[in-house]
Amino acid sequence: MAHLSIQQLQVSYGDKTVLHNIDLNIQQGEMVALLGPSGCGKTTLLNALCGFVPVGSGSIFMAGKDITNQPPEQRNITMVFQSYALWPHMTVAQNIAYGLKVRRVPKTEIAERIKEMLEIVKLSGLENEKVTQLSGGQRQRVALARALVVKPDILVLDEPLSNLDAKVRLSVRHEIKALQQRLGFTSVIVTHDQEEALVMADRVAVLNNGHIEQIGTPEEIYQSPKTPFVADFMGADNRFVYAPKITGKAFRLYLPKTSLELHHLIYFRSSAASICKDLDNRNLDGLTLTGTVEQSAFLGQNYRHNVRHGEQLIQADSPDCWPLDSEVSVHVPPHALYVYPHMARSA
Amino acid sequence: MSRTVTMERSSVNAIGRFKLRWGFWGQTLFITLLALAFFGPVVNLLLWTVAESWFFPHAVPNEWGLKYWGQVFNPYSDVSGSLFTSVMIALASVMVCLLVSIPAGYAMSRRSMPWRLAFMLLFLLPQAFPNLTVYMNMARIFYSWNLNGTILGVILVHSVHGLMYSVWISVAAFSAIDPMLSRASRNLGAGPIYTFIHVVLPQATPGLIAASIFVFLESLDEFTGTFFVGAPEVSTLPLLLYSASMEGNYQISSITALILLVPSIGFMLLINRFMRPEVLSKLGQ
Ligand SMILES: Nc1ncnc2c1ncn2[C@@H]1O[C@H](COP(=O)(O)OP(=O)(O)O)[C@@H](O)[C@H]1O
Ligand SMILES: [Mg+2]
Repeated sequence: MAHLSIQQLQVSYGDKTVLHNIDLNIQQGEMVALLGPSGCGKTTLLNALCGFVPVGSGSIFMAGKDITNQPPEQRNITMVFQSYALWPHMTVAQNIAYGLKVRRVPKTEIAERIKEMLEIVKLSGLENEKVTQLSGGQRQRVALARALVVKPDILVLDEPLSNLDAKVRLSVRHEIKALQQRLGFTSVIVTHDQEEALVMADRVAVLNNGHIEQIGTPEEIYQSPKTPFVADFMGADNRFVYAPKITGKAFRLYLPKTSLELHHLIYFRSSAASICKDLDNRNLDGLTLTGTVEQSAFLGQNYRHNVRHGEQLIQADSPDCWPLDSEVSVHVPPHALYVYPHMARSA
Repeated sequence: MSRTVTMERSSVNAIGRFKLRWGFWGQTLFITLLALAFFGPVVNLLLWTVAESWFFPHAVPNEWGLKYWGQVFNPYSDVSGSLFTSVMIALASVMVCLLVSIPAGYAMSRRSMPWRLAFMLLFLLPQAFPNLTVYMNMARIFYSWNLNGTILGVILVHSVHGLMYSVWISVAAFSAIDPMLSRASRNLGAGPIYTFIHVVLPQATPGLIAASIFVFLESLDEFTGTFFVGAPEVSTLPLLLYSASMEGNYQISSITALILLVPSIGFMLLINRFMRPEVLSKLGQ
């Protein structure tokens, strides 16, 4: 049985429904990432888990117990807030001790656990500092320590890295992951950064407009996105509309198990595409098209080219810089193509 | 060569000194004027407290002496009694105002509260009418409740007046608190009351202290309401001041005014000690 089970959860603000029929099961010790663009309802889902927003319908079970309507203080789900929400009138140690004091843990044990926690988050020696005097990274670790010290059933983190600068972000990302593996806590981490989700999570749930589009391991999400949205969000942002009638010299699609009589939406990553002078006389599987180079940009490892094919513009990477206005062929192998039926046309 | 250099330098110095002097004198003049504007009346008041007689054309008193201090502090005068009454009434008014404005301010700081603005305007209502009308009507109502001439009646009058400040300041103080702070507290297992005491209240304390100072000072100075509701049974320092001034006894009224400063400054110093962040953080423990 799942540790945390969310069933058909629906949450609204007024008459605006923000979460639609969310189903999510989380196992003990697992780290699940909620990934989605800003405003898709990630924070709202965490707030519903913690009891900060009322649930419209559906239910939340924690270790088999229905907690849907429990007040926040009775759930043992702690949160690392996006803004950290540390109490400015308390020191680092007082912030961390708060949850233990509320739980009436004896003083000596509180002192021990704070000391242990400070070591874990590498803040030893700062216990009597005011939290207002800490750097962003340090505040974040206080917030983490404060949430972890009470041994929550689930730790939820709301975009924990978004307020940190790029360099600190990478190291904190590793620290949180290492900590999770070492202490084995169950957690839900919210992010809008696909790389963060892939690196940190055991499983990723992609959220769009209050719906879960796909749940799976990072590999599944990255390699076989189930919907156009997931493909796009995971970096396969080249969108190509396939219409059965337009074939011939300029364009060719060979795919096993795909009917070429229907309209398709095809997504692929620019890095999966290759550019050649002329592929015409080879019959390669996958997508082959010709077009004109409109623009190229140096990315470091290679060049990214904008290639115009009729009305459609696609991007393809190549180690060579192709001159502007040159006619080229672009090829994408079948395993890198994500093909979806194009509802609007083929219906 | 070296001589010209020194000469140049000294002339530069002279200009610098001139500028400095001008700046110095300008500043001195400015500060003196400012001080006169602020403290002129106070100096006059201080002179009166040590004058035994002072007639019109003279710039300073004709006779100096502490005779009137003796009068004020003799056991038969009611200055010390009035001082005590004044301070007690002021402290009690602060208590009443805090008791009302802490819950009211907290409730009205929440966006979700219906009729929020209407309630806030309600506390301004007494101020919308001329003071005199309000106090005369209060006196009439208090008369029928047997509150006229009682300390309690005066405390209530001062509180109604003080509430205007304290409620509005408290609403501002509570509104300024990040709602995530109490959310974090609930999240870590604290109930709403524990959260209010340990997170919300310490955060609002500076504002509440400012409100208390206002109420205290206003109460200490209040005359009209006390006159209508309290006099003659309740005698506060401003009432004493009034009767002394009416009798033309500038010495007594000046000394009384000076005494009135003592609790004001004392209260502010006391409060100032509590305003320190360390103390505030102790409150939050
Ligand atoms: N308190 C609120 N009242 C009304 N609408 C809200 C509130 N909080 C969030 N929303 C709306 O709900 C949607 C989801 O918000 P949120 O969960 O914060 O998104 P995310 O965290 O994924 O960026 C947004 O469209 C937002 O405008
Ligand atoms: Mg958010």
